[in-house]
Parts: sequence; structure tokens; C-alpha cells
Amino acid sequence: MTDILSKAATASEIARAVMSGKARASAVVEAALKRIEASEPTVNAFTDIVADRARRRAVEIDAGRHLGPLMGVPFAVKNLFDIQGLPTRAGSKINVDGPIARRDGALVRKLEAAGAILVGSLNMGEYAYDFTGENAHYGPSRNPHDPTRMTGGSSGGSGAAVAAGEVPLALGSDTNGSIRVPASLCGLFGLKPTYGRLSRAGSYPFVDAFDHLGPLARSTEDLALSFDAMQGWDPDDPVCTDRAVEPTLLALHEGIGGLRIAIAGDYFAKGGEPEGFEAVATVAKALGATKTVVLPNAAAARAAAYVITAMEGAQLHLPRLRTRPQDFDPDTRERFMAGALLPGSWYVKAQRFRRQYRADVLKLFNDVDIILAPATPCSAPRIGQVMMTLGGVELPVRANLGMFTQPISFIGLPVVAVPTRKPGLPIGVQVIARPYNEAAALRVAAYLEKQGVCVSTPA
Amino acid sequence: MADDKPDIALWVDEAAKAIGLPIAPEYREKVILNVERSLAIAQPLLALELEDELTPLPVYRP
Repeated sequence: MTDILSKAATASEIARAVMSGKARASAVVEAALKRIEASEPTVNAFTDIVADRARRRAVEIDAGRHLGPLMGVPFAVKNLFDIQGLPTRAGSKINVDGPIARRDGALVRKLEAAGAILVGSLNMGEYAYDFTGENAHYGPSRNPHDPTRMTGGSSGGSGAAVAAGEVPLALGSDTNGSIRVPASLCGLFGLKPTYGRLSRAGSYPFVDAFDHLGPLARSTEDLALSFDAMQGWDPDDPVCTDRAVEPTLLALHEGIGGLRIAIAGDYFAKGGEPEGFEAVATVAKALGATKTVVLPNAAAARAAAYVITAMEGAQLHLPRLRTRPQDFDPDTRERFMAGALLPGSWYVKAQRFRRQYRADVLKLFNDVDIILAPATPCSAPRIGQVMMTLGGVELPVRANLGMFTQPISFIGLPVVAVPTRKPGLPIGVQVIARPYNEAAALRVAAYLEKQGVCVSTPA
Repeated sequence: MADDKPDIALWVDEAAKAIGLPIAPEYREKVILNVERSLAIAQPLLALELEDELTPLPVYRP
């Protein structure tokens, strides 16, 4: 049995222990704070630690308040989530001079309402325009499996904190791959839900057309438990769905019977290093998947996601690019500036094409329920690495770590990133489902976990 | 046709003026590089032909 106070304990194990009185929330929180103190010099995952708040909350839970399915579970959030009393950094130096959050973000409130305990905020690439986890202001988050390597980003601190076992659960955001890329490089399970499924109220935006929030954890059960607690309509996010809550936790035990599973071919089967495709093959074999499907025009989808991101992101930050360019991270500044100068016709074309691509991809789901694709084209590059070789071609790291995630978030499909690991560094696979069918992707992930094919252990 | 290639430095300088974005000399080269990269990455989209009937999906609900 897992020691509940150790780094290996999952959120579900902690919640069960606290609920049944076998462990006290206060002891769980103290153990997490101690682990954070010990690991931070190596992984640099946290930017704020709210120890007093966490201790107060734990005392309340031990006194019988805040009963819920995540009772006593310590968690942390990417620092673009509002935390009452703190500035919402969003990875920037500029925002520290901005307003102090008067209220926690919607998902922080939902997790705490379920009994979880916020312990701090996590490092991220500046304004989420990042796939590396590097940050000039706060230093890079470091991969717990090899601290000389990137966590992936932009939810880099979220990846590092969970992979190091500082906390069992973290929230991140994913616009083009920012949950799935760090999940892949850090060997975690990550859920990017359907676009609009979870409220984004009280989080700092990047690209409204693609911004999603979701959890990273070391077990499928933890993803389902936290996802279920965070679902529900929120009038404060105009994109948030008014569909009824669709709990996924019980579905995890259903196995994969009846699910038609295919492998994404063409665009998703080239342009990466062998380890990415081997991971897909390993997962496909375990699932008995042999059929291949082609997402038509995936390269154009990636291009369109890039254009919309560059232009929406630049427009958002234009006032600050004019007045405080020197305070930007040098690795985002000129990319934002360039985005402000691109022709408007590109943006409109990208949005028009999105409709076509969505219709074409949804058609595929008449014949399949799940599509498998690589999460990243390679395992974690070295921190500071600028160029990498993918499929024999020299390419910039920053723009290309998300080449396989971008065409999926572009149309808001739900994805569970599942970890594989041979000797060496971990690498993930995307388990993609049709809109609002997170349950199917989570069932597949749970099956792979049960079979021992996809397992996440803290470094 | 090589002559059809845009002068990206000129593009950056003039577009920045048009939108009122001052670009300090020390940033200019990297901005030009990123516009060049954007042009390359956007190609698969720019090369597509779309039907006139294809309109964007609105999220606006009156």
C-alpha cells in the first residue's frame, strides 16, 4: 500500500485515506510543503507557495468541513489562474504590477469545494506562448526525470510539480498543446477536455479561440476525479457549455469493449523522431488497434492554429508591446511583435478553414471512437536548446514541440495524453475522442494503465 | 518567381508604422526572422482554396 504522506501517493489514495480518517489533511499538507521545499532547488516548479492558506484549509477539513471527493488533496495551479490576494503572473514580469486577484479562479473554487487544498502557483512560459517551460523572469522549470532537460510548456511548472511528486495534482492550460506537451515530456497523464467544457473564468487568457484548462496527474483516476469536480456551466465564461455534467469516474472500469480505435496516419506518422512513433505503436498494440485514419489537411490545420494564435496573442498584448517591450521575455517578445504585423486576411482564412476541417474530422468519428497520435515529436530536449533534428530536418524547438497537438486543439477535441517509458526519458501519446466524449478517452487511458503499458511514477 | 518574394524587412517597418508599434533596432532583426517563419509556417493554409460558402463558425449568440 502506498504511504499517503509519500510523493507516490495519488490524489485518489489521499482522498480515500482522509475521508476514512486514516490520514489527517494537516499531515498531508505538511508532507507536501516539505517535499516542495526539498525539490524546488532542482525543479523550479513553483512561483508562489500559499502555506498559511493551505494549513488553515487543512485544519478546517480535519474539523469536518469541506467534505468532498478530493478531501485533503494538495494541488497547485499554473500561475495564470487567479489566486485571491496574489497578482496573476501568467508567466510575466509585467503582470506583477497589475491588479491583485480579488477571488480565486473558477476551477480553483470548484476543486476546493470538493475538498482539495491549494498550496501554490506554478511556473509557466510567458503569457503561455511557449512549448518549452523556459522563462527568462523566473528561470526554467526543470524536468524531474533529468533536470538538464525541458519540462515542455507552457504548463511547465505543472508538469514538474506532479512528476517530482511535490503534489499529486496540478492544473494547466492548453491552447495549442500546453497540457499535452509537458505531460508527454514529464511522463504524466494529462487531460485537455473539449473546448468549452471547463470554465475559464478567473484565468488569464491567451487565445480565446483555443484556450482550454485541465488537470495533470499520475493516474487516470485522478484525472477523472478532478475533471468531474470541475465540470459545470459557468455564466462567467461565455464559451462554457451548458450541457449537463457528465461524470467519468465510474466509466473508468468499463474497459475498452465496444470502442473502435484507430491510429492517425499521414501528417501524424512523419516529421518526428522514432520514439514518438514507437510510443504510438506500443499503445496501439496494447489496444489491438490496426486501422489507420487520415485527418485531411492536418498540415493546414497546424498552420491555421499557428496564425490564429500569433495574431490573437499579439493583439491581446499590443498595448504592452508598445509601452513595455523591454519587460517581455526575449523569447516571446519578437514573436508577439511579428504576430501583430501579419495580414488580417490570414486570420479570416484560418477561421473559415477551421469550419471545413472540423466537419471533415467529425466525419471520421462516424467510423471510429478514438484516434491515437503522438503527443510530441521527441522526448525532452535540453534546456536552452534552440534547434532540433526531426525526421532528419533541422527545426526550431519552440515552434515544433507542438506540431502534433496543434491540429487537435484547433477544433477543440478532448484528449488524454498518456505516458510511455522505456529505459530513458518518457514520451506521451494522444488519445483523442469526439467532442464531449472525455469518458471514452479516459476509459482507454485507464485500460492502458491497468495493463501496465502507461504508468506514471514520480522521479 | 523570385521577384514575387516579399521584402520582409520593408513589410515589418511599414506595418509597424501603420499600427503604431515602435520596434527598437535591437528587436528588429528577430521580428523580421519571426515574420519570415510565420510566412513559411502559414503556407499550407495560404495554399488552400476555400469555397465562397465557407464562413467562419460564430460563437456569438445574440
